[in-house]
Amino acid sequence: MASLAPTAPQGHQFRARAVKKLRPVAFLISPIGVLVLLFVAPLMILVIMSFRYESLYGFHTGWTLDNFRLLFTDPIYRGVARDTVIIASTAMLCQLLIAFPLSYFIAFKAGRWELPLLLLLVLVDELNPIVRIYAWRMLLGREGLINDFLMWTGIVHAPLDWLLFTKFSVILVLSTSWVNYCAIPIYASMKAINPSLFEAATDLGAGWFTRWRRILLPLAAPGVFVAVILVYIPLFTDFATPGLVGGTSSYMLGNSVADLMVTIGDWGGGAALSLLLLTAMAGISVLAYFLTKLNQLD
Amino acid sequence: MTEAPATGEIRIERVTKRFGETLAVDDVTFEIPGGEFFSMLGPSGCGKTTTLRMIAGFEDPTAGRIILEGKDVSFVPPAKRNVNMVFQAYGLFPHMTVRHNVGFGLKIKKVAKTEMGERVDEALHTVRMEALADRRPAHLSGGQQQRVALARALVNRPAALLLDEPLGALDLKLRKEMQLELKRIHATTATTFVYVTHDQEEALTMSQRIAVMKDGVVQQVATPRELYERPSNAFVAGFIGTSNVISVRADSVRDGLVVMDLGEDDRVCAPDTGVGSSGEVKIIVRPERMRVWGDPEGERISRVRGTIAEVVYLGSMTQLIIDLKTGERVTVHELNDDLKGALPQIGDPVVVQWAAESSFVIDDAGAVNVAVSADMPE
Repeated sequence: MASLAPTAPQGHQFRARAVKKLRPVAFLISPIGVLVLLFVAPLMILVIMSFRYESLYGFHTGWTLDNFRLLFTDPIYRGVARDTVIIASTAMLCQLLIAFPLSYFIAFKAGRWELPLLLLLVLVDELNPIVRIYAWRMLLGREGLINDFLMWTGIVHAPLDWLLFTKFSVILVLSTSWVNYCAIPIYASMKAINPSLFEAATDLGAGWFTRWRRILLPLAAPGVFVAVILVYIPLFTDFATPGLVGGTSSYMLGNSVADLMVTIGDWGGGAALSLLLLTAMAGISVLAYFLTKLNQLD
Repeated sequence: MTEAPATGEIRIERVTKRFGETLAVDDVTFEIPGGEFFSMLGPSGCGKTTTLRMIAGFEDPTAGRIILEGKDVSFVPPAKRNVNMVFQAYGLFPHMTVRHNVGFGLKIKKVAKTEMGERVDEALHTVRMEALADRRPAHLSGGQQQRVALARALVNRPAALLLDEPLGALDLKLRKEMQLELKRIHATTATTFVYVTHDQEEALTMSQRIAVMKDGVVQQVATPRELYERPSNAFVAGFIGTSNVISVRADSVRDGLVVMDLGEDDRVCAPDTGVGSSGEVKIIVRPERMRVWGDPEGERISRVRGTIAEVVYLGSMTQLIIDLKTGERVTVHELNDDLKGALPQIGDPVVVQWAAESSFVIDDAGAVNVAVSADMPE
């Protein structure tokens, strides 16, 4: 039997200790393994593809920078990029204009309706996005519900063409997508505000605008930044919405990727554009993070 | 250029406040002369905070009027009243420095930059926070936050400063320090202070006059001394300081006294308020007026035998809890300087004496609205 004095580990004792040390590692191997397999590996494949000729109909093979060069030189991409920035930014602004007052109401004025309203907000986005976008098509079309109503009440005498398959429809639909991801971070930062701050400001002579500008806005700003990070990227890279309700006039970079990969078969180009978008979005996130830090100063 | 100094007088006239079915403040009337340190004192739910909020403008009275410096401000919004409030949780703006917090009210009034800077410095100097002017509230202790909240209110030179239990979150030592600080600041600025608290010792320390409230009704409005020595009912007597309540059965009436005979030379004398023989009154005697080791001053002495239930030695004095022959349990404070010999023990028989002049008759804790009582003549 083992003596009381400490000795060097024997053979079987050493194996036992090694197994004990490896057990936490073994626990981590499975999730890390999944992560590597399903996320990092495809990303690496994407990176590799972007630097190679991978077109189904092209003639070249091997490594190249042409994929990237084309993206920057072809004027089509510049136009698409400009449209994408306009559409995504307008939609983002509209979302904030909806989400900010909504969050304020739920955080401060809802009383016992606060939790049901939050639940409703989450449920709203549970619907499959394709189904939701199709519903908008039915609303906005020439024979859609809105045109029917407008003609029935006599406000217009011919159906409005610009409701569907225009930039307007894309912006409209994007404004209502992922609104809960926009509203909930703003709501969270508002909840962190002590309501007596508003009373203190009122006591010192502040009207509603001053309270909004000097108390609510600065303290809710971190939430707004998180909302922008969470929502701007999906808005920017979306292709389902412009595809279904955008028609030919609003072609966004997401559509470009889809077309490059699926329709044209230029996997190299598609990969390059994806990578570029990914990098741009990462850059925006970092920028937004530093802007949040800026809020700490007075 | 200076404006005429605010008189800071506040009048509460027959103010009532109802929240749905609940009556929070019931027909309350009192007056606060300009520059006074006035407290509203009472247990939770007595209506003191609601009344304060009505003076500030955060609640509208259901009935009655709030008059500030001669003008009816009952329904004037809080931003437009010339009063400022120090909140229980301080309410400091976390994203601004101390200096910006204090200057907030001035900035809204669009005060010129140089004047604003001077007034902020002056306010910070009054509360002794100049050194920490560029810190943020998160980096301040509770007491320091308290002082910033005070400066932020005072810098506006309001007619009255309203304080809603501001010292509740501080530890005992800091609380006592801040009480004296507030008293000093009040003397310096000559602003009316309206203070709300449930701590009677705090109210007695700082206030020139106190309104004792219970269940939305003012029980008594008087100076600290008058509240202690001439409480108007049993509730006030019990709330302020310690009091001993004794029931006196009127066995006989003579020389303006009712006397209850207890045998063995024991008797209780109480002032005769016209109750007549075989009636009953309740009297209150303060613990320092009851004597156990020594004789009380006065002509007509009550004396009752009893047994010691508890002895609490407090250094300069001893607190004795005694069960009297009449059945009541009383508290007696005796100075240890007067003691010759050893401390009494639990179970020792004693004789408790007090002068009839030291006792006063009270009715049961009544809900009677009391007008302002005059100061006691010296």
